[in-house]
Amino acid sequence: MRRLVTAQISIAALFIAALAPVCAAQAAPRMPGELAWTIGYDPKTFDPAKVDDQESELVRYLTAGVLLRFNRFTQKVEPQLAESWNLSPDGKTVTFKLRSGLQFSDGSSLTAKDAAWSIRRVLLEATKAPVAEEFLSPAGVTVVTPDPRTIVVHLPQRVLGIGKVFDEIAIEPADRPSEGRVTSGPFVVADYRRSQFVRLRPNPHYANRDASGKMLPYAAGIRLDVLENHEQEIRLFERGEYDLIDSLPPDYFELLKKRTPSSVRDLGPSLNTEQIWFNQSPQAPIPAWEKSWFQNRAFRVAVSQAIHRADLARIAYLGHATPAYSFISPANSAWYDRKLSAPHTDVAAAKAGLASAGFHLSGGVLQDASGHPVKFSILTNAGNDARLKMATLIQQDLSALGMQITVVPLDFPALIERLMHTQNYEACLLGLENVDPDPNAMMNIWLSNSPNHQWNPSEKTPATEWEAEIDRAMNRQASSSSDAERKQAIDRVQQIVADQEPFIYLVYPNALVAVSPRLKGVQPAVLDPSLVWNVENLYLEGAR
Amino acid sequence: MKLKLVAASALAVLVLAAAVIVVAPGASYARQDRESTLAAASRQHPAGTDALGRDRLVRVSAALLLSLAGSIVASAITTAAAAGIGALAAFGPASVGWTAMLLCDVFLALPWLFLLMMVRSALPLTTSPANSAAITFMVLAALGWPACARAVYRGALSFKGTEWMLYARAGGLRGVQVVRTVLPNLVTLLLPQFLISIPAFVMAEANLGALGLGIGEPLPSWGGMLLELDNSAMLFETRWVYFPVALLVTVLLLLEAAAGEA
Amino acid sequence: MKPAIAVAKWLTRAFAIVLLVIIGSTLLVRYAPGYLSDAREMDSRYGDAAREELSAEAARSGSLRHLLSTEVSAWLRGDAGTSRQYGIPVAELIRPRLAVTGRLLLRALILAWSLAVCAALLSSARRKPSLLWQSPATLLLAVPTAAMATLCLLADYGGPILVMAILLAARDFKFLHSTLRKAWLDPHLLQARAQGIRLPRLLLAHILPAAAPQLAALVSLSIVTALSALVPVEVIFNVPGLGQLAWNAAMNRDLPVLLAATVIMAFAVTVAGMASDRAGGWRNA
Repeated sequence: MRRLVTAQISIAALFIAALAPVCAAQAAPRMPGELAWTIGYDPKTFDPAKVDDQESELVRYLTAGVLLRFNRFTQKVEPQLAESWNLSPDGKTVTFKLRSGLQFSDGSSLTAKDAAWSIRRVLLEATKAPVAEEFLSPAGVTVVTPDPRTIVVHLPQRVLGIGKVFDEIAIEPADRPSEGRVTSGPFVVADYRRSQFVRLRPNPHYANRDASGKMLPYAAGIRLDVLENHEQEIRLFERGEYDLIDSLPPDYFELLKKRTPSSVRDLGPSLNTEQIWFNQSPQAPIPAWEKSWFQNRAFRVAVSQAIHRADLARIAYLGHATPAYSFISPANSAWYDRKLSAPHTDVAAAKAGLASAGFHLSGGVLQDASGHPVKFSILTNAGNDARLKMATLIQQDLSALGMQITVVPLDFPALIERLMHTQNYEACLLGLENVDPDPNAMMNIWLSNSPNHQWNPSEKTPATEWEAEIDRAMNRQASSSSDAERKQAIDRVQQIVADQEPFIYLVYPNALVAVSPRLKGVQPAVLDPSLVWNVENLYLEGAR
Repeated sequence: MKLKLVAASALAVLVLAAAVIVVAPGASYARQDRESTLAAASRQHPAGTDALGRDRLVRVSAALLLSLAGSIVASAITTAAAAGIGALAAFGPASVGWTAMLLCDVFLALPWLFLLMMVRSALPLTTSPANSAAITFMVLAALGWPACARAVYRGALSFKGTEWMLYARAGGLRGVQVVRTVLPNLVTLLLPQFLISIPAFVMAEANLGALGLGIGEPLPSWGGMLLELDNSAMLFETRWVYFPVALLVTVLLLLEAAAGEA
Repeated sequence: MKPAIAVAKWLTRAFAIVLLVIIGSTLLVRYAPGYLSDAREMDSRYGDAAREELSAEAARSGSLRHLLSTEVSAWLRGDAGTSRQYGIPVAELIRPRLAVTGRLLLRALILAWSLAVCAALLSSARRKPSLLWQSPATLLLAVPTAAMATLCLLADYGGPILVMAILLAARDFKFLHSTLRKAWLDPHLLQARAQGIRLPRLLLAHILPAAAPQLAALVSLSIVTALSALVPVEVIFNVPGLGQLAWNAAMNRDLPVLLAATVIMAFAVTVAGMASDRAGGWRNA
């Protein structure tokens, strides 16, 4: 009996041993000199004109040739395919002079005709290119090519930061849109396997060369693996299968720091913010007394004063975050306001403020003037560990005031439905990713008639005087040509926000990255893509 | 028999100990000791603290009483429902059996995730964590019956054709009595199903936390503590992260011994 | 005549199941929160494009009757529609993944059954039941799939097949142990052993036939468990199979892809049920 069964067990064991190596976690095989890292999901499109999500944007950044490049490191606009460019004093005419001898990756020559065609295609209504909106009135824009190396763009109205808009317009062969297979940038899309990887190969006709005249890009190719699982990513990074990780959660950062300290870097505060806000929409399907709390400035300020932001940074982010009081992060040196005066942690002041607003404690529970206990929920998105921790920490902070909070993590589509469509929520804790340091990019959040005016979307007229003042200040900075005047306007907006607390800012998360010691040439920048903005100069040691 | 008694009393002792720990003065599963997060075992915190500085021992005890109770009750309901439906389908008219098994197959294939989301959106957002936990377990119990029902159906059918069943029915055994006679023979199917469902429900509740259903903060969720194991950063941080798993295995083994195998 | 009737009955059954699954899934997905929302709405750069797409989808799926009739008639024609997420025909998305998932399932099931049968034979043959033999299976049931995956990654050993096989084996073991234990304790078996019949013959001629109906029921139960364990395993290990597709479709409310995935699952469950019916020699009494 025993013999037979032992025999059966040993067969099974052999089976497992044989199968296991075959099923171990593996990345696709690497070619020598090929850079590899992960992206969170499949790029939705390879057509550079139709890019409307982050990963497609990354592929466009790596493959597209553009007239002007917004240098993510120096934060200045530089000519790329253009040799030089000029903006007329009234801001309505942009003239580009193309470099000579430019070629596409298939060898065909790149002239003004291709550049003009690409720009016109982006402006066409049929293309529905998201970047067309940046022109403010794309229908009125005209593009002419007086000679094969000059392109002149006439704008119906001045556009702030027009140089950066051309950073998003890929120059493709005229009449032959190729979805990234024929490009004028450093790389070309070579292969795409859905849910597995995107493979890029170097552009043999790329115009740029390095200081010693050597051809760029250095790397023999790029492989972007579609992988969402952090555990696998870290494991494969440690094994050398991936060369960089461009956003690490704080606990994995600490783990990698213990195992390979030379590979991780904390780049300091990012441009992003984490904030909490209350639903101030009059149409919200929440009880009227709750609306009266949320629309009460003293209530919001008290909540802001009761939150221990230092604890949030220390515990939820393991110290890799900075307490935040405004929407401009200290990493945004051009726009940061050092003299901002915002409510800091002061529980006594919070209690006093609530008392003067008519709230009182009854048996440990805070009640408003009509006797309703202060009970509300904080929504956040599921799957984000740090946000859930912050919500739980805030839950305890606010219970010191006598408020009863429920923390409700929801999956993203359900959350968006409540925030943007039904307004059926009380408070929400979310983060905002800022890809552009210029606050003009945030117009849609601050203008009261915008659907992204989160606490009270699509107002027909500003509901309060301070919202009207924010509208005026934002419009002022959008139409002003003086940098000093713009800074003044933005400072004013920051001060109003700090006084009224429509958004209660919590922390600026730090940018945490990991770079393999074998990868050379990396210069981390504040703006996305922070590690590969200079992809043409990156190479693997020993493969150059 | 002795093993059953020992196991049952060990379980009772565990539950009592957990209750004592939870109601002890000064014990709180929610209080965050923010100066000592992920601390090692100490006099103040015999099992250390979690990432937010809350005492692990009190949280595991509270979770034992809450998640485990919920999972056991939900498991029992599911198994009973599967048994009832399977037996009725087998002993009723053939059309009833055919329809029941058809519905069983349909149920298994439908994406119930969305029903759970709808339940969450129908509930007010300020539903207390305890209430939302109860509702979660009830919904899980209502959705769990198809998995085992078909196996019960087959088993019951096999008894229907045996000789002794034939004699019993010839002798006048009717309806409910038939079912009552058959059920004890189905224990070989029902007991493992019951025992397997308990950890499955514990984990399902934790995964549902991602939809807003499940046990809300600050109530401790056993499934949530188990899911901490998937984070290698946590695994290297502290040994106490294995405590919930070890306790769960112990409880399951004790339950198995107490429920008894012939 | 009889086989033809049986086939006809089975086809009716399969058709009814698929129809009910299509209707049920459409209702569930369409009315769950978040069907007409998109994460891009929060990004002011991409908000307008997203809103346009969503209003088109709202127009298409606004009336329940219209939506159901469109979906059902499309399926009757054999057209699975276009993916809402990727914009390509659903059939194109599913075809390469069927092979991947099929292979994973087959290997995992074979490995799981080998493990479970060996372990159950060992543990059920003991004179006194021992909890120690139950503990490995209990331990495996208590560990979440994600934790097992992490442990595999840390140990650099094992992958989706191993984890799925272990999950299934742990569950199957519990059932098999009960069933075989009962079979061992049958009185006629005691007589057979007393008469000196060797073990292999004992197994083949006495135990397995006695437990056959239960084992057949367990096969279908096991396949059902495998199908539901498929999704977490594929998602965690990033296997490009049907489970991962179904999960992404569920998270992104991609109705056509989700319908296709649930229909395939319903079909698989029906076939599993039928196969175990045949194996156990059972028909509806």
